[in-house]
Amino acid sequence: MEAAVVDVGSKLLKAGFAIPDQTPAMIIPTQMKQLLDDGSVTDNSPSDNVTVDPVVRGFIRDWDAIEDLLHHVLYSGLGWEIGNEGQILFTDPLCTPKANKEQLVQLMFETFNISGFYASEQAVLSLYAVGRISGCTVDIGHGKIDIAPVIEGAVHHIASRRFELGGIDLTNFLAQELGKSNPQVNISMSDVEKIKEQYSCCAEDELAYQKIQYSCPVEKHTLPDGQVITIGRERYTVGEALFQPCLLGLEAHGIVDQLVHAISIVSSDNQRQLLENTVVCGGTSSMIGFEERFQKESSLSSSAVQPTLVKPPEYMPENLTMYSAWVGGAILAKVVFPQNQHITKGDYDETGPSIVHRKCF
Amino acid sequence: MYGGDEVSAIVIDLGSHTCKAGYAGEDAPKAVFPSVVGAIDQMDVDESDNGEKNSASAAESKNNLKNDDSDKAKGKRKLYVGSQSLGYRRDHMEVLSPFKDGIVADWDIVDSIWDHAFRECLLIDPKEHPMLLAEPSSNTQQQRERTAELMFEKYKAPALFLGKNAVLTSFASGRATSLVVDGGGGSITVAPVHDGYVLQKAVATSPIGGEFLTDCLMKSLESKGIMIKPRYSFRRKEIRPGEFQTVDLDFPNTTESYKLYSQRVIASDIKESVCRAPDTPYDESAYSNIPMTSYELPDGQTIEIGADRFKIPDILFNPSLVQSIPGMESFTEIAPSVRGLPQMVVESISKCDVDIRRELFSSILLAGGTASMQQLKERLEKDLLEESPQAARVKVLASGNATERRFSVWIGGSILASLGSFQQMWFSKSEYEEHGASYIQRKCP
Repeated sequence: MEAAVVDVGSKLLKAGFAIPDQTPAMIIPTQMKQLLDDGSVTDNSPSDNVTVDPVVRGFIRDWDAIEDLLHHVLYSGLGWEIGNEGQILFTDPLCTPKANKEQLVQLMFETFNISGFYASEQAVLSLYAVGRISGCTVDIGHGKIDIAPVIEGAVHHIASRRFELGGIDLTNFLAQELGKSNPQVNISMSDVEKIKEQYSCCAEDELAYQKIQYSCPVEKHTLPDGQVITIGRERYTVGEALFQPCLLGLEAHGIVDQLVHAISIVSSDNQRQLLENTVVCGGTSSMIGFEERFQKESSLSSSAVQPTLVKPPEYMPENLTMYSAWVGGAILAKVVFPQNQHITKGDYDETGPSIVHRKCF
Repeated sequence: MYGGDEVSAIVIDLGSHTCKAGYAGEDAPKAVFPSVVGAIDQMDVDESDNGEKNSASAAESKNNLKNDDSDKAKGKRKLYVGSQSLGYRRDHMEVLSPFKDGIVADWDIVDSIWDHAFRECLLIDPKEHPMLLAEPSSNTQQQRERTAELMFEKYKAPALFLGKNAVLTSFASGRATSLVVDGGGGSITVAPVHDGYVLQKAVATSPIGGEFLTDCLMKSLESKGIMIKPRYSFRRKEIRPGEFQTVDLDFPNTTESYKLYSQRVIASDIKESVCRAPDTPYDESAYSNIPMTSYELPDGQTIEIGADRFKIPDILFNPSLVQSIPGMESFTEIAPSVRGLPQMVVESISKCDVDIRRELFSSILLAGGTASMQQLKERLEKDLLEESPQAARVKVLASGNATERRFSVWIGGSILASLGSFQQMWFSKSEYEEHGASYIQRKCP
């Protein structure tokens, strides 16, 4: 049986068997609804279902919820049988605390009784997906942005940067902006999320953005409940916020500047190689016009070598940026498990959860 | 007694230039960031016509009763820690260092640096991890007690240990006896270690550290007419497709200290990539025709550096060279008492017992950022062979990897904290509560 690869993100969970040049079999939202099962039917407002976000800013926070989610994914989704669990590979974001890694290993071996485990960092996996072992990954996810230089498969921790800014902040921002331009309409967050995915885009460069601020074609969009809202320059503001975080009220430089600063810390022999092999991945980066804007900002950056984006190989599916960490995980799983470099049940029983620090890096 | 089993200790080395923090047992720190902070006095924001106040005067801000309610952090100033926060230019932001003459003067800043390391870089809860801190080889009792107080009272660490920089470097190279030459940002310290203990009477320090050399380089370049533009002061614009132009930006409210800090960052990068220790003492005439090396500044300007490549590092060996750099005249007042590096090493060894001198001469360790300069090891060995007494076998050791040299104190701490035999040596919280902070003298020799 193939190993299973699971990439738990702040918004979407990608899971499937390790078949590299295909999309993951399951891409489901990580957000769950908690049904209050106190048995009795209350006569006031029905089911105040609580939404639970087990993954916050890239890290797993609610372990019970994750257990339920993984149960569904592994047994119902991927078709594992109880008593015959296979091997599994997980992906970790940057700066994962040691305690988190240990807890995950413990959960998998003790609750799920798997036979083999491996965990690897998302930055490295995204590079494997495009066929490189050295380069710089810019992972713009729902809950966080990770900028990580990777040299020969090892993340250069000192130079990497992590920002607690992601798709969710852009959604909140869009909701705010839409609220200002459409004061009568009440839009729920999930609708704003869909609007963001459908409409948001990046202006060509800063000058173009300034022009749009003054005049922008306005579109009408009908919400599922029938209300109509107008969307104009908000669509561009969302994309611009990645390059000018001061729009969101944050005191930080834009994505490309952060990338250049991060790389300037690495020793100069490697800088060229890193900048020329830049990979952008993550859901938020699939915005219309993002890549072009990124290239444009790169050419304006104050650096001798300018960041160049890597083209994914042709045999990879479209939309690789949405799940490149998963695809990289599938590639790695095909190497690690057959060569027995993973943590086996025997290893875990002997050493305990701390073995994850020694065997997986 | 604190017996650490599976819980990983955290090792922090707060140097005068960078702070290194990470988990014990690993081979490099995870968090490395400058140990200076940006500070904005809250009053400056409200009283914009008051001009810029020196926000080091926290006492002055406490006397100002206007902003009693808007108390942000400590002493009514907001602190920005870490290379990301510092890299963003803000109005009225001063750059402050917690150190003054090598010892901690401002504990609020140290507190904010530790807080940043725990909460934002390592993402851990200090309550659950024992802490190993590196301290200067000649730290005072008062400083150690203050450190212990801050760590136990505020961060509620379960256990603490203070290791001297020289001892940790010694462990990193696997030796119990050696002479450690620690070239850091603020100073160079030469300290002999014997069987894991620093011989205090033989410790020597010199104010010529990495930052001093950076300043010399900056002044030298300025005297040649090369202005280093800080990163925030320019931007590239595309005037025609494919053609770029650098445009100067003006931010009148930027403080001098921030401008200096930004320039120093660039200058130290120049120093690290271009400077090399010369094989022979620097001579103005001999090096006047040296081929120039070019370096590209962030704003696109390419500069040529010739004799300075060798002159600046030679200041370590011959401090009187500083007088020939225009702009560094203020240094000449203290110049007579500052000795060059080989002299410091010989003096330090001669203050030690006769029996161990041979062993010290044959295991001289180089550590710290400044000591990772190219060719420094060879030059020091050569100079020492001349200065040292006959029949002494001089050997200077430095690990080949530049990263290991920069972080050797941290690596030593990482090794120490993960040793099984070390676990009983921690100064635990219960011992602190029972005996008080002064007990640290006994537990951490």
